[in-house]
Amino acid sequence: MSAPLLAVEGLCTWFPIRGGLLQRPVGWVRAVDGVDLVVEAGRTLALVGESGCGKTTVGRSLLRLVEPRAGRVLFEGEDLLHLPPAALRTRRQAIQIVFQDPMAALDPRFRVREAVAEGLETFGIGADATERAARVEAALARVRLDASLGERFPHELSGGQRQRVCIARALAVEPRLLVCDESVSALDVSIQAQILNLLRDLQAELGIAYLFITHDLGVVRNLAHRVAVMYLGQIVEEGPTEAVFTDPRHPYTRALLAAVPSADPARRGVAVRARGEVPSPAHPPAGCRFHTRCPEAFARCREQAPALMPRDGRAARCFLAE
Amino acid sequence: MSDLLAVEGLVTTFPGRAPETRIPVVDRVDLRVARGEALALVGESGCGKSMTALSILSLVPKPGRVEAGSVRLAGAELRGLPATALRRIRGARIAMIFQEPATSLNPVQRVGAQVMEAIALHERVSGAEARRRALALFEAVGIPDPEARLRAYPHQLSGGLKQRVMISIALAGRPELLIADEPTTALDVTVQAQILALLRALAADTGVAILLITHDLGVVNEIADRVAVMYAGRVVEEGPRASVLGAPRHPYTQGLLRSMPSRARPGERLAEIPGAVPAADAWPPGCRFAPRCAIAMDVCRVREPEATPLAADAAARCHALVTP
Repeated sequence: MSAPLLAVEGLCTWFPIRGGLLQRPVGWVRAVDGVDLVVEAGRTLALVGESGCGKTTVGRSLLRLVEPRAGRVLFEGEDLLHLPPAALRTRRQAIQIVFQDPMAALDPRFRVREAVAEGLETFGIGADATERAARVEAALARVRLDASLGERFPHELSGGQRQRVCIARALAVEPRLLVCDESVSALDVSIQAQILNLLRDLQAELGIAYLFITHDLGVVRNLAHRVAVMYLGQIVEEGPTEAVFTDPRHPYTRALLAAVPSADPARRGVAVRARGEVPSPAHPPAGCRFHTRCPEAFARCREQAPALMPRDGRAARCFLAE
Repeated sequence: MSDLLAVEGLVTTFPGRAPETRIPVVDRVDLRVARGEALALVGESGCGKSMTALSILSLVPKPGRVEAGSVRLAGAELRGLPATALRRIRGARIAMIFQEPATSLNPVQRVGAQVMEAIALHERVSGAEARRRALALFEAVGIPDPEARLRAYPHQLSGGLKQRVMISIALAGRPELLIADEPTTALDVTVQAQILALLRALAADTGVAILLITHDLGVVNEIADRVAVMYAGRVVEEGPRASVLGAPRHPYTQGLLRSMPSRARPGERLAEIPGAVPAADAWPPGCRFAPRCAIAMDVCRVREPEATPLAADAAARCHALVTP
């Protein structure tokens, strides 16, 4: 078996809680606490979870926008966490990220073509200005934007067009992995559909892999080949998307799926299967982290932490799934 | 008529870019909500749904203003009422909850005191009685450990608990109508499920009518009895939940439902609505949806369609329903 494009092993990213006169760490928010993930070349892995579960920190840790404290991030076999800064900068060309809010991601003073060209200049792609201009035009065409929009400023574009510009900018440097952090969450449903279709087409055209970070289960089911469900800094379930959606093995996955309201008038009545709310990641519960909200928890769950147990190509972190 | 709320020909404008021009962001909107009924006003950002709610409450921020139309509560006109009379109606007979509970709560006052203040606003009660009722409200909206939570400040509560506090404040005056503007949009899906279940239970128990403003068709399905779909300032389709969500007649409603990822088969391309919602100062003549509509005819680009009555208390604004 060939090595996957990306393999994350035992990733831990903690943030200090500072206190006292000297602002020393008095505790740690364990935002990411031992995460393993695999993204195959040309495929989509969705990382799904509710706010505060650590999914965004995983994405940022891969690119070392935040520094993990432990673990390995193997990209094409090379550990990004132990690369010297110069080597890391070159590798970043292969991993690009698209954020939720394109207005915040784009510099308001840059024209569209300047924004898209920025990455080309950073990585020294293209022999001269003429070639770079051609690449910018190609990148805009790839995201179905008219070349004339290159002269516009971000505020002159619609929300959907702005997100296309962000995707064009990321793709211009020809990455092999695109991290999409809630990239369609702020868009209206009719525009969201356009962007999701675009991402699907681009994967077919370019063979690019996606790590799709989202809270939206409908989007996950439509786009992702595999899904990893995250809760309080840990993966609680991982597997092929359809298997996880049709036969979820972790009670948290079941609670998430049952909570999504359907627009089908014949299917009314969301089920409340997780009581209360997510505990603070600064003080995760002992034992299984989900036991405080789990409708199926028993004595062992309060004392012992279950491991992520692999079984027939899937994995779940639950004693009941063993 | 047994309508609790009847809105007719509501027009709300904002200044345009050119001097002396005004743009109708809410354009000749008719709505009615019967007693005990839940109406969802649904649409994408910029369609005018929130501004419609604010217009009903006479809370349109300047420089916007309600230009025309009538807003009647149980038959009595609200437009033109003096500010003091409106304030008495807001909170007492019409209550509101918003998307961000954090911005609606006073950060430096204990939440119990805020609920008791809301109770005292509507009725002369002793401090002990107000406290007893606040406790009962906290229990009714499912706040765990309500005694202790009365003494909490907003920042000590999670998003879900803050929204429960907001709902208890809204219910304090025993309103006839609850206007809920994206009440679960800022919440996680497992907490949203709890709040949706709570709103449904409260509506059944208290008989309060609900005007729900949302972009989420799943939330609509959970709460609404009837649905009104807005596009570019106009109501384009209206009817019972089962017919609007199950058998929509307007191409925009059809497109919205089809473009939901959950409606597509896994791994399949989604149905798209081409283009984007036009800005309020660039609404096309004729049917405002025509430039994005797959079945638009010549007449659609010239003349705006009337609302065509359909079966069972439903209507849609589309020429294709008249001249097939």
